[in-house]
Amino acid sequence: MSEKIYALLLRLYPSGFRKAYGGEAMQLVRDRLRNETGLVRRLRLWLDLLADFAMSLPREYRYAQPMLASSSSQRRLDGVPSFHVLEDEPIGVGTLLAAVLSFLVVLGTLSIMLKHAGDHRRSSGAVMQGAPARTRWAPSPGSAGQLDGKGSHATAAVSQPSAQPAVAPSGAVASPGFVLDSAERQRVIDAAVANLKNHFFDPDGAGKIAKALLAHEKDGDYDAITDGQVFAKLLTRQMRDVGQNVDLTMEYSRAPLPDHPQAQTPEDLARYRSFLQQNQCFFKKAEILPHGVGYLKLDGFADPAVCRSTAMAAMASLNGAKAVIFDLRDNRGGDGAMGSLIAAYLFDHPQYWYSPRSAPTPQSWTQSPVPGNRLADKPVYLLTSASTWSAGEQFSYDLKMMKRATIVGETTGGGAHAGVFHRIDDHFGMGIPEVKVVNPYAKNDWEGTGVAPDVEVKAADALTAAQKLAEGKLRRSQPN
Amino acid sequence: MPKRKLDPLPSAAFQILLSLADQDLHGYGIMRHVAEQTDGRMRLGPGTLYSSIQSLLEESLIKEVDSPEDSGDQRRRCYRLTSAGLKLARSEAERLAGLLRVARAKKILRGDYV
Repeated sequence: MSEKIYALLLRLYPSGFRKAYGGEAMQLVRDRLRNETGLVRRLRLWLDLLADFAMSLPREYRYAQPMLASSSSQRRLDGVPSFHVLEDEPIGVGTLLAAVLSFLVVLGTLSIMLKHAGDHRRSSGAVMQGAPARTRWAPSPGSAGQLDGKGSHATAAVSQPSAQPAVAPSGAVASPGFVLDSAERQRVIDAAVANLKNHFFDPDGAGKIAKALLAHEKDGDYDAITDGQVFAKLLTRQMRDVGQNVDLTMEYSRAPLPDHPQAQTPEDLARYRSFLQQNQCFFKKAEILPHGVGYLKLDGFADPAVCRSTAMAAMASLNGAKAVIFDLRDNRGGDGAMGSLIAAYLFDHPQYWYSPRSAPTPQSWTQSPVPGNRLADKPVYLLTSASTWSAGEQFSYDLKMMKRATIVGETTGGGAHAGVFHRIDDHFGMGIPEVKVVNPYAKNDWEGTGVAPDVEVKAADALTAAQKLAEGKLRRSQPN
Repeated sequence: MPKRKLDPLPSAAFQILLSLADQDLHGYGIMRHVAEQTDGRMRLGPGTLYSSIQSLLEESLIKEVDSPEDSGDQRRRCYRLTSAGLKLARSEAERLAGLLRVARAKKILRGDYV
């Protein structure tokens, strides 16, 4: 019944709109009717539909009618006489009568429903109750969307490709819009082999990996895989196993990967700078907590070219602290050079600042000592969470390995991004380490494993735990 | 045909762009996500939804993509954000962030917004 009433209402829209979207509009109403049952929800559904109808119908006619005039005049410009059938004639009397009737039926139904509404307790469940949680992009090792540190924060809210299939409202897997077929698998394998041979720093390793991938392909090991994420993960595992390098990754992105992710226009840079300045360069809070413990909440590592003075001011504001807590629980990474700049305050002599992305250069040492700085010998605590990512993990990893900080919280996300990203097509790309970088501390960096805390507590409890640790240490070190 | 107005960007169109930021969706999926991301305050009806979709398509801010064959949704059209759409959504978000800062500076808002 409801469906029929809406079908009548739909007839009032211009025919162009009906033809283009009538079927989908009906489908949407059917979906809502199916999912929104019960008196209150149904009532709300009809109020929604009527309000929508009242607002959108005049707008559609405003835009639809001039379309005819402009399309005819366009034709006449060609100088060729022609006849046109006007589809969007004004609303006919019959249609108007149908509209009036359907309105009366709807209003009558509503008033009857309202009369009986008192018999029902309003259920607390909103219309969206029972809807599956919206899938969001979750950090995964070496995700393509994060590879370009610069600007990634500026776009994080809207541009991260969703790595997981969306869940349809009805609970079925919804429309990834991309199907992994044999041609696409072939393209990815061929491109992976070519990229490895051209870019991987270890030519022997590249040859072995290529051989292994082609052998798997020949054996039909990939034939049954139709999920891009599954395919990318399997290829990543196989490349790492054979190549013995944790920074080899295959990435799948449901959203199309940008064609030239590195290209930045001056406008992009200007926007990036203003975004950083508006966000205090991710220095969210710098304060002295009770007992003289300094606290710095840093949610990202911004480009020092823009944010050096902000960083210096923040560190200077903590100069009187007896211990320092760096809160990296919401730190999603960024520019590793900012990590080195901050770390300079924690040493009285230059320290090698290891990055899995680049071989040592003169800039790989911290600019210590910093004149006037008094933090070089103060205890340091880092708060981490499973979301601490990329450059945030580098900061944690290096200070942990140098035993310069105590990590309090959770194991970090595990994204080193040491590979250079190579786009294969709209949905696949791969990270390949192009230079051999010696890790002075261990065989592997934190790619895929994260940085483990020294003191494991839930992220939410990390600040309290670190404060206790710092206060305890300060008490013990005070001369009696 | 006169352009449908997207300047200033209507709230419904902005919400649709946001809903498509991380996944492709069909019309009902967009409606659900918009309701979810506005805590139920905005429930797009079919007229407003498809009228906005039409404007966004005309401006190439979104594009139609095929539904997957295996979901039983062949009849449905799905929509995907284009790079122009992403750019517009970003600049709108930045404009709103600017407004929030003013509101905070005028002490209308308290706390750590933005």
